[in-house]
Amino acid sequence: MRKIVALLMILVVMGSFLFAAGKTEAPAADTPVTIKVANYAILESGYEPFWKGVKTGFEAKYPNITIEWVTAPYGEIVNQVVNMAGGGNIVDVLFGEIDWVPGLVDAGLAAPVKDILPAAFLNDFYPDVLKSFEVGGTPYGVPLYVSPYVLYYNMDLFKQAGLDPQKPPKTYDEMLAYAAKLSLLKDANGNKVYAFGQTTASVPVSGASLNAMVFNFGGQVLDAQGKLAVDNQGFKDAFAMLQLLDSKGYNPQNAKLKDLRNLFALGQLAMYYDQSWGFNGIKSINPNAKDFTASAEPLKGGAGTGESLLQAHCFILMDNGKTQTAAVSKFVEYVISEEVLSSYLRDLTPAYPAKKSMAAMESVANNGILKGASPAAGRVRVQTFIPKISALNLELASLAQAVTVGKQDVASSIEKFKTTATVKISQ
Amino acid sequence: MKTKQLSRHRSDTYFSLFLDLPAILLTVSFIIVPIVDSVIKSFQTFGLKNIISKKPGIWNNFANYLYLLKTDEFGNATMHTFSFVLWIVVVQFVLAMLLALILNSNIKGARFMRSIMMTPWVVPTVISALIWMWLFQPQYGLLKYLVSVVTGGRVSEFAILNNPATALAGVGIAALWKQIPLMTLLLLAGLQNVPHDISEAAMIDGAGKVRRFFSIILPYLSPVIKVSLSMAIIENFKQFPLFWTMTGGGPNNATTTLAVLSYREAFVGMNLGAGAAITTLWMGMMIVVIFLYNKAFRIQDMQ
Amino acid sequence: MNQTQKSDSKVFTFFKTLTLVAILLFLLFPLYWVLITAFKTNLEAYRYPPTFFPRVPVIDSFVSLFKENNQFFVYYKNNIIVSSFVALLCCIVAIFAGYSLARFKNRWNRWFFALLLASQMFPVISRMISLYTIMGKLDIINTLAGLSLALLAAQAPFCIILMSSFFAGIPKEIEEAAYVDGAGRFRILFSIITPLVKSGLVAVGIYAFLMTWDDYLHAATLIQADGKRTLSVGIALRYLGELSYDWSLVNTISIVGTIPVVLLFFFFQKYMIKGLVAGAVKG
Repeated sequence: MRKIVALLMILVVMGSFLFAAGKTEAPAADTPVTIKVANYAILESGYEPFWKGVKTGFEAKYPNITIEWVTAPYGEIVNQVVNMAGGGNIVDVLFGEIDWVPGLVDAGLAAPVKDILPAAFLNDFYPDVLKSFEVGGTPYGVPLYVSPYVLYYNMDLFKQAGLDPQKPPKTYDEMLAYAAKLSLLKDANGNKVYAFGQTTASVPVSGASLNAMVFNFGGQVLDAQGKLAVDNQGFKDAFAMLQLLDSKGYNPQNAKLKDLRNLFALGQLAMYYDQSWGFNGIKSINPNAKDFTASAEPLKGGAGTGESLLQAHCFILMDNGKTQTAAVSKFVEYVISEEVLSSYLRDLTPAYPAKKSMAAMESVANNGILKGASPAAGRVRVQTFIPKISALNLELASLAQAVTVGKQDVASSIEKFKTTATVKISQ
Repeated sequence: MKTKQLSRHRSDTYFSLFLDLPAILLTVSFIIVPIVDSVIKSFQTFGLKNIISKKPGIWNNFANYLYLLKTDEFGNATMHTFSFVLWIVVVQFVLAMLLALILNSNIKGARFMRSIMMTPWVVPTVISALIWMWLFQPQYGLLKYLVSVVTGGRVSEFAILNNPATALAGVGIAALWKQIPLMTLLLLAGLQNVPHDISEAAMIDGAGKVRRFFSIILPYLSPVIKVSLSMAIIENFKQFPLFWTMTGGGPNNATTTLAVLSYREAFVGMNLGAGAAITTLWMGMMIVVIFLYNKAFRIQDMQ
Repeated sequence: MNQTQKSDSKVFTFFKTLTLVAILLFLLFPLYWVLITAFKTNLEAYRYPPTFFPRVPVIDSFVSLFKENNQFFVYYKNNIIVSSFVALLCCIVAIFAGYSLARFKNRWNRWFFALLLASQMFPVISRMISLYTIMGKLDIINTLAGLSLALLAAQAPFCIILMSSFFAGIPKEIEEAAYVDGAGRFRILFSIITPLVKSGLVAVGIYAFLMTWDDYLHAATLIQADGKRTLSVGIALRYLGELSYDWSLVNTISIVGTIPVVLLFFFFQKYMIKGLVAGAVKG
């Protein structure tokens, strides 16, 4: 019996320790404001030091405000924020992707940015860029920077294949001609070199990238009203191109963007599409990659002009009352500034500033990696916002897999996609 | 005497209820209530809005279920789930039985082998998914190399998870790897309980190895087999982390099982009502399968 | 049995050995592969054809794990706390309910048993959202205690059934004798019966520990603060990162993350094997 009592005592002690551990993170009594910032990037070793620096710098500047990070992996942070909100715990800021905006607006979480941020600050953003965050005419997010899809290519491989590394392909036809030469190469270990990478894996971000490819061909996925509109040549051409790339073995099958970054970093992939910030991933695998990496504008295909999809990492803000939003406003203004983002854009995340006053930033103007792709930033198109954008993106990825690894015919796969996608986005 | 017994009986009941209480509280509040809640949601329009504003969902005349009928996804996912469960359970049973029989014969080092073979079982699922993804890696993976060596270089680009025809098998291999040890252990224990005299008597009667196995040992093992198979069925019916980590349901939805589909619908598509409808049907199927399974064993037991 | 051995033809022995070797290779080789990858540099890991033994074994990824990625050890510590807590509580709940199930065959217990069986079948995904709301109301969301309770509820049903099969093996006469001697019910349970099922208790405890060590979905949903995460989720975060793969590190983490459970298993395997077998076979 004594043993049992002892055991119970241990349990009680352990239990109180556990519950206590749960409470200790509450701010000390004299700190007036704590803002909760949901940020997946804290968990990625490539970004962690930057965000830690933001916290230290910001808290030094505003000693009465404390930042509390809420974290989850990239693919799960939206669920996390939503689940928390369901439990009555709404974060103040979410750092995320443009595609997450419509879902959060639909859920009633995201607040109009003009209710929180001062007009002077907002007016400094490029109107077109801010426009891409609009739902019903009101913007619901602010971009930290703009990172369009660009074509990264390996200059060393170009040289080995007898191609001019200063002349990247401009159209899909040129790319195919280049690819024929590039695909004959072997890397130092005798491994196959893939000529061209386009992500098609089963994750929403692959769908967004495929959407960009449809834009390259002058096609569209949704019309201005957010209805599915894929009966256009550009859409068909894009997926026919994917099938062609697959049948020639140019494109690594069923790859995530990080698979492509990996292959590219190791010199086994000659060209691939990525958001401009993807270079951070390449560099983290092969620090020497900057010596052979160059970027170019997205290719033109068919009747298209090589337009691409606007992507931007952004802050989505939520309204938790005056004291909170005042602190949030200070936080957003602090981060989206030349002072804070300068080193980030130079060293970590090649991307273009979203604010006019930052246009002349030294770290962007002199960025060798992005030089070739500069015009791409101006030729982006905005995808119509629908709340079910992630579900649609997954369907696009499935379609890409059907015509590549699934070896199915393009026309009938598109028909099947139409049925499924219509149902998915209507619900 | 009789009244004393009666009161003892009643106090037994109270005491046993008291002992059950912690477990009942836990199970009801953390499992049963959420399950019932999710079944209710499956009949409602229930999205993010409802979670955040705490508004109850609205009855929608089976719209979530009708929605599932509009595409072939649900049917395909059901097919994938069943074929996954069937194949894994059958292959697992055969391999585990072979291994158990071998370890049960007087082989040297059987005890040692029994303990080291258990290692995969304790490896956390997420880690086992990573291990197999690394072995299956399409460019540098070991499997690609082995296949190319075995086929003399004819199949040089083998990527099991990238091909819709083989992806399910790829996840299956990881599942087998993790699950075979436990089943072997259980079957082995069952075999060790088979009384020697029974199997020897049969041998004296001149029964061959194979016949002895099917007519003497197997029936004797029946209770162990029943339990270990039902554990395997439930585990694989519910399998989620392996799929989610290894394939995310692709390629071309070849590994989209009911688990993946419901997660996608609820947490990626943010259509919680439809996600709940899938899990509700899924649970229903599982109950039917387990019911039929028990029935099949009962009939077999009677024979 | 000896006779069987003699009657084995050479062909039969050959196939037997072959099958044994094949299955054991399948089960054990992947572990070897992970181990050697952890000692390769990333560039050697990406070499094709792969090397079967690291050319220059390096411990870079271990060093980096201990030096730079030491957040990993926070996950580790949390998981040890949560798993031990669940294992302990699970034992207590299982003693209570397992004993009741084994000893009192009344109508209530038949329902209770059905409840336990049923609750094992429900997929975790289907109850995550409601679970979140309920735990939010109890104000135990994002705490290790809340996570432990949810995991306890998930593990308890199997543990109870396992435990009850051990209690069922204890002859009723023992407690009858004590009852006649005037011992109270709790005394009988704790100081007379429970010591007799010690090995079962160890099995239940270890089982609960192993299963919570394996948990992914609960921790992923119920915990938001990085400082409170457990291992599987922590690993998935590092692996599922969007940026890139670091396979050497992933393999290193796999090893370090598996070692405690492997040690635990081997240390207690006698009880574990006996317990699982008894539970499954008798239960």
